[in-house]
Amino acid sequence: MLVLTRKLGESIAIDDHIKIVVVQIKGKQVRLGIKAPKETKIHREEVYQAIQDQNTEAAKSTPSDLSRLSEDLKKN
Amino acid sequence: MKVNTTRFGELQVNKEDIITFSEGVLGFEKLKQFFVVDPGDSTLILWMQSIEDSEIAFPIIEPKIFKPDYVAKLLPADMASVDLEALSDAKIYSILTIPSNITEMSANLKAPIVINNKKKVAKQIVLQDSKLSVKYEMYKDLKSYIVSYSSDDSKRTTVAEPQTISAKEETNVETTVSPKRENRNEA
Repeated sequence: MLVLTRKLGESIAIDDHIKIVVVQIKGKQVRLGIKAPKETKIHREEVYQAIQDQNTEAAKSTPSDLSRLSEDLKKN
Repeated sequence: MKVNTTRFGELQVNKEDIITFSEGVLGFEKLKQFFVVDPGDSTLILWMQSIEDSEIAFPIIEPKIFKPDYVAKLLPADMASVDLEALSDAKIYSILTIPSNITEMSANLKAPIVINNKKKVAKQIVLQDSKLSVKYEMYKDLKSYIVSYSSDDSKRTTVAEPQTISAKEETNVETTVSPKRENRNEA
């Protein structure tokens, strides 16, 4: 991994179209500004983790879960 | 071809029903080929079964069933990633999590499965909309939909009819989806 040191207000450029700026440094938190083309996907890493966890959980489901659900849904 | 599955036994799958996820599903990147199984029950939930791993299948549902205003806003790059020219060629599904307390069941609205129906390629696309939840609880909405659906006799025959697990129906979703659901998808 490439590691760069930046000061407040400084930025890095990725390719020709992506720019990341250090907007604010407050204690242990860093606020970053990201300028990128519309089609660039930008997400917090936790989003991917949450989706992976949800997928893993979903893959454990069995048809009996669905029959339980089906029974339940018929009740009013 | 014959496919072995832990949940449904051995199934006959037509080549044209195989859906290719070139990047896999998040957390299951090695699995590239799936097909849709319709158990034909009243829940409207389908399964996306892996061909490569008999144990892996995800319960999926069309999110418009429980959330009619749901829109998967696909960027041009998203469309390109599944070789999609028009949204009308796409099928959108949410993966469901069904915990032991079923009232806490949830759907992943943030990262729907987008299937290009014509080319049979698909991707789990992470949408940019930050308001969409990975764990959207939808038990109540699904229940109220199903209650109103089954009490309406005019719509009943197409889906409420018990469908046995025959290989033909399982692997061909199009024939088992009711006209109502098709309309909702295009809306």
